[in-house]
Amino acid sequence: MSDHDERSQIERAVERLMHGEPISRRSFLRRTGRGGLALGAAMTLPAILAACGPGKTKLEWANWPLYIDVDDAGKHPTIEAFTKKTGIAVHYVEAINDNEEFFGTIQPDLAAGNVTEWDVISPTSWMVRRMASQGYLEEIDHSKLPNWTANAADYAKGLWFDPDNKYSVWWQGGITGIGYDPNLTGREITSFDDLLDPAFKGRVGGFSDMRDMMCLSLLSLGIKPADATLDDAKRAQQKLLKAAQAGQFRGFYGNEYYDSLSNGDLVASVAWSGDITQMQLYDNPKVKFVIPSGGAPRWNDNLCIPKKAVWNEQAHKLMDYWYDPVPATTLSEYIGYWTPTKGVPERIKADADAARAAGDTKTADLDDVLSKAVAPTAEQLANVFDYPELADAAEEKAWNDLFLAVTTANG
Amino acid sequence: MRGARRRLTPYLLLLPGTGWLLLFFAVPMAFMLVMSLQEGSLSEGYRLTWNFGIYPKVIGEYGNLILRSVGYALSTTVLTLAIGYPMAYTIAFYGGRLKNALVLVVIMPFFVSFVIRTLNWRMILSDNGLLFGTLKDMGLLDHAFRFLATPASVIFGLTYNFLPFMILPLYVALEKVDRRTIEAATDLYANKVQAFWRVTFPLSLPGVVAGSLLTFIPAVGDFINADIIGARSPDVAMVGNVIQRLFLSVNDFPAAAALGFVLVAGTMLLVGIYTRIVGTDRLTA
Repeated sequence: MSDHDERSQIERAVERLMHGEPISRRSFLRRTGRGGLALGAAMTLPAILAACGPGKTKLEWANWPLYIDVDDAGKHPTIEAFTKKTGIAVHYVEAINDNEEFFGTIQPDLAAGNVTEWDVISPTSWMVRRMASQGYLEEIDHSKLPNWTANAADYAKGLWFDPDNKYSVWWQGGITGIGYDPNLTGREITSFDDLLDPAFKGRVGGFSDMRDMMCLSLLSLGIKPADATLDDAKRAQQKLLKAAQAGQFRGFYGNEYYDSLSNGDLVASVAWSGDITQMQLYDNPKVKFVIPSGGAPRWNDNLCIPKKAVWNEQAHKLMDYWYDPVPATTLSEYIGYWTPTKGVPERIKADADAARAAGDTKTADLDDVLSKAVAPTAEQLANVFDYPELADAAEEKAWNDLFLAVTTANG
Repeated sequence: MRGARRRLTPYLLLLPGTGWLLLFFAVPMAFMLVMSLQEGSLSEGYRLTWNFGIYPKVIGEYGNLILRSVGYALSTTVLTLAIGYPMAYTIAFYGGRLKNALVLVVIMPFFVSFVIRTLNWRMILSDNGLLFGTLKDMGLLDHAFRFLATPASVIFGLTYNFLPFMILPLYVALEKVDRRTIEAATDLYANKVQAFWRVTFPLSLPGVVAGSLLTFIPAVGDFINADIIGARSPDVAMVGNVIQRLFLSVNDFPAAAALGFVLVAGTMLLVGIYTRIVGTDRLTA
């Protein structure tokens, strides 16, 4: 798996060099950072030693690639500000590329009741639910989270996977919908069925993520993923499988769909909302994002404390820090996903106005777009749905097996 | 004493290699075998239930993908042989002082990571990329044409990546061919074509066998080419891709381990038949 990540990182750099495009430092880091050093970094000796207790000098945080602000020196200004404010040093590691894969690296320790190397981890909603149900997460003490209490947006708390935020607080989130280039499709795309239109045979992209794909298919059949039975899942799978066997999908992509959609190899693809915002800003302004008419799955990643984490107190401080609108704004201006913190869109808008007043129209335009993208609209919220719960491992495996048949067109 | 030590010497010499293989090959294989016979899930734990039923199950489910992988690997082997033989022949017979330099050129790609090389091909071969984009702009290709994410592209990628594994053993075998045997053949009124097919080619067979094995075996289990050049298209999924996904996305370790074993067994069977026909002594000749 780390091959993929290494790949997308290097690939983007090389591709840009080959196209002779000038690379601004900021966009270069944005684009290439996604790959990250991932597993390699997580396995470094210092990371392992640091987890050994008494000698611990840093808070260990495992997050996804391209999910934090980066300055020209390759540092993370918001994290540096946190360290300055609290005296807590943070070892920020882009260690998560896949929920299952990351879970596999810490599960043996958690199951054996050992300390993992991490103090804060950033699993996706359904993974929070799984880990919490297995007793792998520490309970959060909300008396230590004043900013969260004051500033957490309504859409970012009390969700299905952790209704009382007992084990998790939001990190960032977004929608899985459809991205397309109207010039290449020749028409607007409004539904998931449009994506499966045989006219685009072999030129649309799917995701290798089971939940995103099954949810889109379920919603196109009028079934809410949260209510879906295994029979519903089979119907949704048949729809995907039929398309896959007819050669509809050029491939089932991970992060690398971005390049293929941006360079026109794909006329349309399943896509993450935040990515298309970035694509419009930096790579291909023609590409549009749409929530299909049946609805789309929403997702979010979270901050959690793994069981027996050594720096529990410090982990709470870090969690709360992101609900301070000041660092939350800096972060959002950089990564552009849905923020959980109230007041961020307004602050970005203010920054845009300030930049315009100072004559920096480029930054102003950028921030104008971002201020609208970093929080969901009421209309968006009405059309997005939660992932299915998949109560136990057997059910989850049944769904995964169904989807494996789709990605190999083997039904 | 000296006699005893002499008797022990071969065993002592074998020790590092045997230990290495035991530790890094036999132990993981045994672990995988046990894993394949377990039932359960990652979160609830696996129990050994001697579930031999998993084997017919994975063969039934993924047999077609194994066949496809064998087909791709065979095509790759034939292509690398067809491309590699003339190249190795030319270097060995006409390379002269440039021989070493030419061999270096053949292995040059190894200085760059496998993944990065494959990635570069993906960029060059993308629908509107360097190659096809130019041809399309010149009107020489239909705009709907695409090469990536097709079976041909995966076989192309495999052929490119494994070509040096074919050329090197061929070169070594051809280099060793005693030129006087060819001279003798022509002295005995063989023309050049006859001399090649009756003398040079048979003498180079060890290289052909070694090259075929070095190409076929890794190619059949490869998943990088189907992933990158094949763009994870369902049409080109190979058995290696399924094993990878079973391990990493579905978390069905027993099925993944069982499928891995089926692949190993199938490959060994095919290699066994092949060496039976051509003869293993060719490898050491």
